[in-house]
Amino acid sequence: MEERPTSVWSSTRFWRKSAGWVTGVSALLLIWLSVDTVAQISMGTDEDMQAKKPMRIFPSTVINHKVTYEYDAKRGHEVPVIGEKEAFFGRSDYSPEEADALLRHGKLTVQAKNCMSCHTLLGNGGYFAPDLTKAWLDPAWSESGPYMAMTGTATREEAMAKFMMHPSTYPTHARRMPELGITEDEAKAIVAFLKHMASIDTNGFPRNFAKMNGGVNAK
Amino acid sequence: MIEAFTDVFPSFFGTLNRGPMTLTIFLHTLIVLPMFFIYFSEKKKIERGEPDE
Repeated sequence: MEERPTSVWSSTRFWRKSAGWVTGVSALLLIWLSVDTVAQISMGTDEDMQAKKPMRIFPSTVINHKVTYEYDAKRGHEVPVIGEKEAFFGRSDYSPEEADALLRHGKLTVQAKNCMSCHTLLGNGGYFAPDLTKAWLDPAWSESGPYMAMTGTATREEAMAKFMMHPSTYPTHARRMPELGITEDEAKAIVAFLKHMASIDTNGFPRNFAKMNGGVNAK
Repeated sequence: MIEAFTDVFPSFFGTLNRGPMTLTIFLHTLIVLPMFFIYFSEKKKIERGEPDE
């Protein structure tokens, strides 16, 4: 008797070829997708931002400017609008090097203090504490909100920094933020990091941030 | 059905992702169609009596 498969489904070679094809094509697609999205995830330069070139991730010097959001009817959600110069801790002339260093210090502090075990940043992290992705735009930190008066400060960034240094002393919510031993320099760097993060074009994510009164369409 | 391209940066996959299922249908077509070819070419080999490895 001749022993050979009579059905393609029992052919080893068929399955080997199919698996090779699917795995190979999927791997190539993933590599292509990574390359295809590089432009979307690259940080722009200061010159490009001044020239109002389109970008999703603004350079660190965005902290020298007012960050707001406006509804874009074509895209169907709010998009970041970088406005005129705005003082950040009393200055609006941070050089790209200074701003880069500040943001890097902020990022490292956010990682060191493990903020993401409670807070969410750009969709990653915990849901125990407020989402920080667009926290900079939260009107709670503006003149109309309670935090400036509570912390005895005159600006949004100072209120955020002072709160972070001694969070448990301010009555905010039943779930109070613990004392993390954040220094003044670290707090300032974290606020810069948060301001920059708020300027990232996240396709309207998180979904409800547009309802922040004063944070969006606040000219 | 096919929505306007509104992404900040033009990209190949962004262009395909222009409506419900457009990207999915493209990718599945790309992967599944050649599998028909693999199936029928293997079937021919088996019918010709070529040994399966």
